[in-house]
Amino acid sequence: MNTKEYIESGILEAYILGALTVEEQAEVAANIAMYPELAIEVAAIELAMQQFAESNAIEPPIQMQEQIWNAISKETPAAKPAAPVQTPKPVTPKTIDIARPAGGHQSQWQRAAVWIALVGSVVTNVLLWNQKSHSEQQVAAVQSHMDTMQAQQQQKFTALAASYQKVKDMMADTSMQTIVMHTVIKDKPMAATIYWGKQSGDTYLMVDNLPMPPQGMQYQMWVIKDGKPVDMGVIPNDYIASADVMNKFAMQVKDGQAFAISLEKAGGNPTPTQVCVLGKV
Amino acid sequence: MPTTIIYSEEELVLLLKQQSRDAFNYLYRQYSAVLYGVINKVVYDEQIAQDVLQEVFVKIWNNIPQYNPDKGRIYTWMINIARNAAIDKLRSKGEIMKSKIQTGEDVVNNVQGGMKTEQSTDTIGLKKMVSDLKPEYQTIVNLAYFKGYTLDEISKTLGIPLGTVKTRMRYAINMLRQQFNN
Repeated sequence: MNTKEYIESGILEAYILGALTVEEQAEVAANIAMYPELAIEVAAIELAMQQFAESNAIEPPIQMQEQIWNAISKETPAAKPAAPVQTPKPVTPKTIDIARPAGGHQSQWQRAAVWIALVGSVVTNVLLWNQKSHSEQQVAAVQSHMDTMQAQQQQKFTALAASYQKVKDMMADTSMQTIVMHTVIKDKPMAATIYWGKQSGDTYLMVDNLPMPPQGMQYQMWVIKDGKPVDMGVIPNDYIASADVMNKFAMQVKDGQAFAISLEKAGGNPTPTQVCVLGKV
Repeated sequence: MPTTIIYSEEELVLLLKQQSRDAFNYLYRQYSAVLYGVINKVVYDEQIAQDVLQEVFVKIWNNIPQYNPDKGRIYTWMINIARNAAIDKLRSKGEIMKSKIQTGEDVVNNVQGGMKTEQSTDTIGLKKMVSDLKPEYQTIVNLAYFKGYTLDEISKTLGIPLGTVKTRMRYAINMLRQQFNN
């Protein structure tokens, strides 16, 4: 990396000014960690912004100090009033004597028992509360997961229903013809079926048994019209992978005597080179 | 007021972790004006700025145990808390949306207008310094730093290419650096 160019681009300034997206920020932070000269530049920019902030300083109204301290003490009970800075002493809990019964021995035990019970109760409460918020989070996570799953399922159902409808429409079309294309290569069993609505011109392909084409090759669909093959387009490899699914061709075929599939270089050829399956109408 | 002791960054962190009233007093004395200044640049409303200042101190107080010195200076950390809290407040008020539909020229005027109103307050030092910057540079720094705009938003708002936004940022901050060094 050319750190000089990187610095000159102004991206570090954008980083310190907070103008980057989260991804960009992470990228810049990684670069800073990697190149010390970037870290030095960033420190200088930060210092400039700090001085900029200082020169913008405005004294807040005088009562704010007390008001904010009150807010802090309220929110964080841990805030100690003016404790000695160097030596924090162990905190001894204050006890309130409640009508101390006679027999100091026994009362000490009672007191201890009360303390144990109290501490136990507080600890249990904290634990339970933690557990509760944890389970709540889990429930929320499961809920959102279920929602996504439901939405996904809904989508799949809709797609499936649409494809069933397509098949129903096809079957209802009395002019629909079924043409099974058989292998033309000896000892290599391959087959695919064409559903052809001659009137509508719609043509559907169902792959029964075709091996995945080798790297850099693709199957191509042909209709034979008056003895000449007419290109119907290459067959995407996912059609081959998803056998038993009907796929419609974009091209309308109104006329033809046979259908064929050939193996060609990826992208197809103007004329078939190696025919694999062929079926006459 | 007693003689002011200045703590180093490390000492300050230790002090704050004590969570004592003394620690708070020191923190407030040392940083409230800077933080309040930053907040005022963002929100332009005294009452809101005071609310945000309180939020910011509570946040600093509560988050100091999580502050990690390896990730940067505590000063920068606090300034960023103030900036982000103020920008969040601005967004929640919907003001940023308003300003985002304004044209670039309006934004320039606004930013300058904002500077003018602050001129009446008792801070003088920087005003001159920043007004030495040409408006097109000032605006970019202000939009990013005080209004929370991303590069993309600045580029669209001002109608200038993204690369130019970045180089102007660099130029503007270089100017600041020179001025502060003098």
